[in-house]
Amino acid sequence: MIKFESVYLIRNNKEIFSNLNFSVQKNEKVLIQGKSGIGKTTLFKLLLGFEIIDKGRVSFNDLDIGKEHIKNIRSQIFYLSQDIDLKDGRVSDILDEILEHNVLKNQDKGHFTDLLNFLDLSDKLLDQTIKELSGGERQRIGLLICFLLDRPVWLLDEPTSALDDIMKKKIVDYILDQEKTIILISHDNVWKKNNAVKIERWL
Amino acid sequence: MGAQDLNLLSLMSLFIFLIPVFYINRRLRLTINKTMLTSIARMCIQLSFVGVYLEFLFKFNSPVLNTVYLLIMISIACQSIIRSSNLKVRLFFMPVFFSLLIPFTIILIFFNAVVVRIDNLFEAKYLIPIGGMLLGNCLRSIIIGLNNFYSGIKKDEKVYLYSISIFNSRIQALKPYFKESFLAAITPTIASMATIGLVSLPGMMTGQILGGSIPMVAIKYQIAIMFSIFYTEYFSTMLSVLFSLKVGFNELDVLNQNIFISKG
Repeated sequence: MIKFESVYLIRNNKEIFSNLNFSVQKNEKVLIQGKSGIGKTTLFKLLLGFEIIDKGRVSFNDLDIGKEHIKNIRSQIFYLSQDIDLKDGRVSDILDEILEHNVLKNQDKGHFTDLLNFLDLSDKLLDQTIKELSGGERQRIGLLICFLLDRPVWLLDEPTSALDDIMKKKIVDYILDQEKTIILISHDNVWKKNNAVKIERWL
Repeated sequence: MGAQDLNLLSLMSLFIFLIPVFYINRRLRLTINKTMLTSIARMCIQLSFVGVYLEFLFKFNSPVLNTVYLLIMISIACQSIIRSSNLKVRLFFMPVFFSLLIPFTIILIFFNAVVVRIDNLFEAKYLIPIGGMLLGNCLRSIIIGLNNFYSGIKKDEKVYLYSISIFNSRIQALKPYFKESFLAAITPTIASMATIGLVSLPGMMTGQILGGSIPMVAIKYQIAIMFSIFYTEYFSTMLSVLFSLKVGFNELDVLNQNIFISKG
């Protein structure tokens, strides 16, 4: 489903990828590990078209990442960035805006409440602004958006770093149970305990 | 009837007050003496030139010549706008040129044809001073607009890209930056319309009164010109952002990093 073929990328005179070959099958869950600065996040940016490779091919369902298909490709990928870079504003306004511009498969109000409960997010929190949230709350809001949008591919950059152990466990189980194609970047060992994950070590 | 001519020597006498200004600047170590002098010199030289060629333009009063003159003014304004916005002139010239030209032409022709009702739409006496006033005022607002828009997105790039990934819509992701920069650009003019007459007496009105117009006529012109300035600013600022999106962003909606003038 996702393919990187002989990819080369140089940024600021630094070689980030040289001859990278990497692929992910449909509904596969891949955990990428490796020290920081090795280009894990860049991999996500390439898929979203935020960075452009110097040489090689990156494809999504056999479609090249380029002008023609980018809308289609982006509509299928949910990206959870490490800092959950949501613009500032009231949480509920941001959720409304997101839902206004995305067609949800499950529009049930009950589903929304279930997710809030599952993520241990209170109604009060929805009236706060993004800036006022703690790291863990932001991360859970990010995951809430992820679960609501329900896009087929998830790119999750350290999705559990700010959560407590119980929440971590709950979320890992939930995520790995989904019929989704998921690429993860995480230093958390909880992911490894689950056999559903294929581990990719970058040195 | 017209204003009394100024004797050149009496005009020069205004330089006297530069002496205390220089002295104070030095004592306070405000290192602006050089910049100040350059600006004063430029003002005197540029205005003297304008005086010379305006007389020339008024004498010939040729529609073609007047139009060419206005186009040159727009081009100069364009360069000045782009440079002050810290953007590359080469990339932004065309989009900014048209975003100035279109509202400017419409408002100017409307002003001359419908408001003043002059027979010759290209009458130098109206076309050039009014055009100059419109341009001068647009300069500031487009600079604020473009500068805030592009530097805002650059500063906030992660958030902007994240919006792109969530909304999958360039318009939706750009909206907050557009809104913020546009408001910053036009708010000063709206504020100045609210205080005009109370706090400041506008230059054009003063000029007309000195030139012999009765106050009521001068005021009507002033109202007409304020409307025109506001409309031209409003549309040219908006268009300058819209028209420049094509050079500002790549095909995948990512901000082009090479559009900024590198400082260093």
